Amino acid sequence: MTRAIVTHDLVKVYPRRDRPWWRPAGKRPPAAPAVDGLSLTIPAGQVTGLLGLNGAGKTTTIRMLSTLLRPTTGSATVDGLDLVRDAREIRRRINMIAGGERMVYARLTARENLWYFGQLYDVPRARLTARIDELLALVGLSHAADQRVEQFSKGMRQRLSIARGLINEPSYLLLDEPTLGLDAPIARDLRAVVAELARGGVGVLLTSHYLAEVEQLCAEVHVIAAGRLVARGTPAELTALTERQHTVEITLAAAGASADQAVQALAARTGAQVTADTDEQLRPRYVLRHRHDLAGDLATTVVAAGGAIVRLEVTPPTLEDAILALADGARQPEAVAA
Amino acid sequence: MRHALRVIAAEALKQHRRSFGRPLVVASMLLWPVLQLAATYYTMLPVLDTPGIASRWPDAAQPARLLAFLAAGAFAYLFYFSLVQSAWHFSFERISGTIELLFLSPASRLALVFANGTGALVQNTWLAGCFAVAAASAGGALHVAHPGMYAVAALALVVPAIVWGAFLNSLLVFSRDSAFLYTLLDDPLWFVSGVRLPLFAMPLAIKAVGLAFPLTSSLIVLRGALLDAQPLSALLEPLALLTGLCALLFAATAALLRLGEARAQRTGSMQLY
Repeated sequence: MTRAIVTHDLVKVYPRRDRPWWRPAGKRPPAAPAVDGLSLTIPAGQVTGLLGLNGAGKTTTIRMLSTLLRPTTGSATVDGLDLVRDAREIRRRINMIAGGERMVYARLTARENLWYFGQLYDVPRARLTARIDELLALVGLSHAADQRVEQFSKGMRQRLSIARGLINEPSYLLLDEPTLGLDAPIARDLRAVVAELARGGVGVLLTSHYLAEVEQLCAEVHVIAAGRLVARGTPAELTALTERQHTVEITLAAAGASADQAVQALAARTGAQVTADTDEQLRPRYVLRHRHDLAGDLATTVVAAGGAIVRLEVTPPTLEDAILALADGARQPEAVAA
Repeated sequence: MRHALRVIAAEALKQHRRSFGRPLVVASMLLWPVLQLAATYYTMLPVLDTPGIASRWPDAAQPARLLAFLAAGAFAYLFYFSLVQSAWHFSFERISGTIELLFLSPASRLALVFANGTGALVQNTWLAGCFAVAAASAGGALHVAHPGMYAVAALALVVPAIVWGAFLNSLLVFSRDSAFLYTLLDDPLWFVSGVRLPLFAMPLAIKAVGLAFPLTSSLIVLRGALLDAQPLSALLEPLALLTGLCALLFAATAALLRLGEARAQRTGSMQLY
């Protein structure tokens, strides 16, 4: 059996409660599914990204996989265990870390918080003390181990929250915006921890608004919109799905009919979108957008036509462009890349 | 069972840190029941002048017996009301956002609510308990038929109180509206359970309502065993009722937890506060 979290046609519809109980239901449109037929595989030993705009269904998916929510229909397994039927055993194997600082007890010390959750997860007594020390060291809180959490900064609380999520040495870690609000150095350290966990065999599902984080960590990314999977692939594959997003901006020293004709001809030949205007110093400026990088062709064409280039800037397509395009419906479900 | 005991230990530490760790709180744990007892005693004193009361309620004829009667009532009430408070505090887990962490863990839900009740009970009552035992022994108020009746009285107080606490916790863990418990279970509980007045002095309807609360039967056993030297055979009826109530509350707790968690999983309401 392959070690993985596998979901099949997972659907979650939240029941509507927008009328008082004494009023008849009448004819109301059915509630829209928060997750709609999602099929994913989150293998062990890999960081898998789950991306989408707000309301896409990322958190609902994570909460279902953590057993806090029950799917309306569909199924999911964790290493072959059924998400609903074997929920208790699954809870021993997974953990979840969400962004924010509401996931620890403020009046307990860092060590006491970890001890408390270690007891709840039934971490063997002989192992628990050492595990707490390891985790405090891992998140850089050894110096504050016996300090009450209410005296912690936001970053320290978040780091403790991460340690809490690792107390049971989970086989799968569900990360919902784990670096939300963290300073850059702490977020960087967390990314290093996540990468190390994946190398050690932990399966990680990551949602994040920081796409650089996703590009850095994730071997595979699933993009969802309105609860549906709209694309999946490596970050590079997803980025490549976005058309006409290489942007080349070129500014010439002086206007000239031949250079202008050459640029327009290149755009027509390649199918690039072109806009022409002038910069603040009234020098001619062209912007070409194409799925491929046309910077080289454009520069050659302009020089061959006698133009003098004063500025050339290339903006490659980003994963963010891909997410936006895919989420906006530019891509339909058949765009799934892999 | 071993895991459940670990959950109880964890909850006890958490509650100690969250609610009981400061000297002022420790002082109030003794001061509050003593003040309540004093207020009740001096409220009841004028009743002693009622003509013919001694024939209907012999304890009322002797101030020392009346004080022991009321002290037993206040002490037992402290046990039960501390669990109302515990349940109320448990509902704060929703506000602080930690409730999901409990349900994310593999800990038994039943163990969690029992742990919460047990932790609260021990921490709320240990000081008043020590004081009550010392005071009752020194004052010569204790009259027992057999030393084993101390154990009967203790079990009749502690076990139903914990089951009661677990039941309240199971109610509140899934509800955002917990203030009603204070209104419903403070003065009314005090009144219908015979804390201040013996049950036989109550109207039939109140008596019936009172018997639905385990505190009422706990009090009958506590007073009978420790103040009136009644043997076990004389207390079988309230003990049987207590056992039945405990079984009922236990079953209701298990069902409520199952239904509540299933509902929260269906609606996503656990993250609301």
